[in-house]
Parts: sequence; C-alpha cells; structure tokens
Amino acid sequence: MRTSGRALEFEALKFRRAPVVRTVSALIAGGLPALAAAFMVAANSAPSSLIGLKAAAMVTTAGWAGYLGMVGMLLSVGALMGIGFVVCWSFGREFTDKTVGGLFALPVSLRRLACVKFMVILPWSLGLCLACVATALLAGSVIGLGVPGPAALEAAGRALCAGAMAALLACPLAVVASVARGYLPGVGALILLVVANQVVTAFGAGAWFP
Amino acid sequence: MTVPAVIAADRITKSLGGLPVLDGVSLDVGPAEIHALVGLNGAGKTTLMRILLGMPAPDRGSGSLAGVPVSGAGARTWSRLGQMLEAPFAYPELTVRENVYSSARLHGMGRKDAGSAPEAALNSLGLEEYAARRAGTLSLGNRQRLGLAAALVHRPTMLVLDEPGNALDPRGVIVLRQLLQDACRASGAAILVSSHHLDEVARMAGRISVLHRGRVIGNLQPGTVDLERQFFDRVLRADQQRSDEQRSAAQGPGQP
Repeated sequence: MRTSGRALEFEALKFRRAPVVRTVSALIAGGLPALAAAFMVAANSAPSSLIGLKAAAMVTTAGWAGYLGMVGMLLSVGALMGIGFVVCWSFGREFTDKTVGGLFALPVSLRRLACVKFMVILPWSLGLCLACVATALLAGSVIGLGVPGPAALEAAGRALCAGAMAALLACPLAVVASVARGYLPGVGALILLVVANQVVTAFGAGAWFP
Repeated sequence: MTVPAVIAADRITKSLGGLPVLDGVSLDVGPAEIHALVGLNGAGKTTLMRILLGMPAPDRGSGSLAGVPVSGAGARTWSRLGQMLEAPFAYPELTVRENVYSSARLHGMGRKDAGSAPEAALNSLGLEEYAARRAGTLSLGNRQRLGLAAALVHRPTMLVLDEPGNALDPRGVIVLRQLLQDACRASGAAILVSSHHLDEVARMAGRISVLHRGRVIGNLQPGTVDLERQFFDRVLRADQQRSDEQRSAAQGPGQP
C-alpha cells in the first residue's frame, strides 16, 4: 500500500507538470464549451449563413436541450481524442523518452505503476468532463438561454455520461502504446478508432457502436 | 574466509533475436568493491546489467543481489539498489530537484527524508544551481549528473551503472570517481560499473573484467601500465582462439 502511495505521488507529479495534460484540459474544459456556444449563437442569430446552417444541423431542438445535446456530441468525440491522446502519452512516453529503464529494479513493480497511471488519468477525465459541462452551463447562460431547468440538467447529465464513456473507451490505447513501445502507435490507433466511429455512425449503426 | 558476493552473475547465457549475446558469463562484486566491466561495443555489458536488474530473464544461469536471486527479489532488495542504464532518470517536465525527490520516494524513502535528501545529492554532483530548473533544459552532461544523483540519493548498498562517465566533462569524471569511492568506503556499497574508458576505470575500480563477444575473457590489473595494450592483447587472443575453434569445428573430428 505504501509503495502504491509513493507511485501515486510520482505519477500525479508528472501528470500535473505535463504540458500535454494542461493543453488538453484547457481545450476540453474551456475551448469545447466555447465552440458549442459559438455554434448555438450562429444557429440562432444567422441561420441562413454557411456556419449557421452547419450549426443548425447539430442542434436538434431549441433552447438548453438542443445546446447541451450538441455539447454532449462534441464532448463524446473531444474527450475520446483528448483523453485518448493523454493515455497514449502517459504510457508511450516512458518508451519514447527512454525513461522506462529507470522504472525497473524499484520496490514498486511496473504493473503497479501502470495501475497508478489509471488512478491518476480516470479521476482527471471525470473532473475534466464535469468542468466541461459546468463551463457549458455557464456559457449557455451568457449567450441568453436563461436559467437551466430540470430538462437542461438531464441533458447535461447525458453529456457528462457521453464524456465519461469516451474516457473509458480511451483506456485500451494504453495497451497499444505499451506493446508498440511509444505514443505514436497509440495515437495512430486513436485516429483509427475515431474514423471507424464516424464510418459506422454514417452507415446508421451508431447506436450499436461506442 | 570468503566474503559473500553482493552482486553475482552465475553462468548467464542469453540470446537476443536468435543471436548469442552472453555465453556463460560469471562474475561477482563483493561489499565495498568497485568491479568494472570493460569491452567493445556489442560485447554484452548492457545486456548483462539488464539481466542483473531483472529486465529480461536469462536463457540459462542466474543472477543474485545480496544473496537473493534476481527473479525473486522483493521490495527490500530493490530499495537497496541504485542503477543507471541506457538513459538517466530525468523526466523533462520535472525540475532537477523533483526528479531526485521522485527517485528517493520510489526507492522507499519517507516523505520527510526524501524532501531533504536531494540537497546533498545535488551538491555532491555540482547541480545545486540547477535544482529549480526543468530537466528538459539541461545539457547532456548535466542530465547524466542528474541520473547519477537519482541513482545515489537513497544511499544504496548496491549500484549498477552502465557507462556513468558518458557525456561528463573531466571535472565530472573526477567527481563521479570520488562519489563511487566514497559510497564504497562509507556504506560498503558493491558497485558494478561498465565503461569504454580504460583510464577512467583503472583509477576507480578494484577489479576489471574484460567482456568480449559475450564471454569474460580475462581481467586487467588496475594500476598497471599500458592497460589499453593489455586489453587489445586479450581481445586479439580471444578472437584467434575463436577462429581456431571454428576452423576445427568446420574440419570435423579427426582432422589435424
């Protein structure tokens, strides 16, 4: 247990200091809700413009429900890409940066270090999705959607679930990055996953595909 | 009475990708001893050290640390060992101090001790002015010093260092030599160190083994003159012996 605590402290420190984690956090918690809010404004204020037409295609209903539905849609892809990238980096960097040699011959086993990486990544992912939804609610109020009601909160919950599920879907990428000994093969697998997702959805089997 | 070895390799044989890398290598390092391993590139030095640290398992033979087989070594054994192989323990996003602190924690030091330990380790390697700098901004030589600080911070009684003098300036080499000799004297550490630089190991090691094509082909006597000549004599003799053996095998039994 004591060795797990030390490993957790070590992994959390690396995670906190990593520029890639900070960038992904800023993009998902701030950039993504801002994008959704901008699309909502475009769909409502300039529905005949090119961007307004594109945005309107993503907003299925009016008001909070439509806006948060779009946030959920963006978050499901954004969280898979962003969190997937962080998963690939966290595991693959040990090989790419050649730091893995220093993780051998320690009182903490490699298996425990791998578990601890997930103990850091998963709570961060959940927190990130929560932050994204909270910022989206704030941005919704700013763009004039009013005070969110129970239906809006239900849509926010769905968006949060979509993000959390996408985070879980990103976890197996750690295996790809570790087996292929680098983060780039993991990123390749992530891109493949997103492309497969889009193709399957385009063929109408989206409900059966994560 | 024979002093038991602290680090020992017993007839270790290993092939990688079908190519033999180590062929029945045995060596030992006693307490308060620096044993240097010298050899040309590809001689098998790093592979032997990796096996002694439990990275790959040997095909045959075994290694032991403080009397414990490497395959069964637990947290207590590993906490007494410091190592630097291939790349130094230097995460670029962490500061120099954070790297050394992390190494101390991972080796089992308590938070309070690990908090104060980096100071002494960094001072001894002349890194105190870089303590708050990100490791990613350091020069190659200072990254190497950082790796050494991380390997030594928990005052290990066993050290396995692969080419620790790489990228160090002349002053760094002297500091390294003094540090290892101090670790030997002060805490009775058993140190296995590999190097290409004969002059360097002749000044720090008590024993020097020559590894060539996966076999220990002899020893060099530290303190004697012209170690380079002695080294190449042994290598040449080993190569001639190997060619003779291959010729005999090709001619078959009964041929002169």
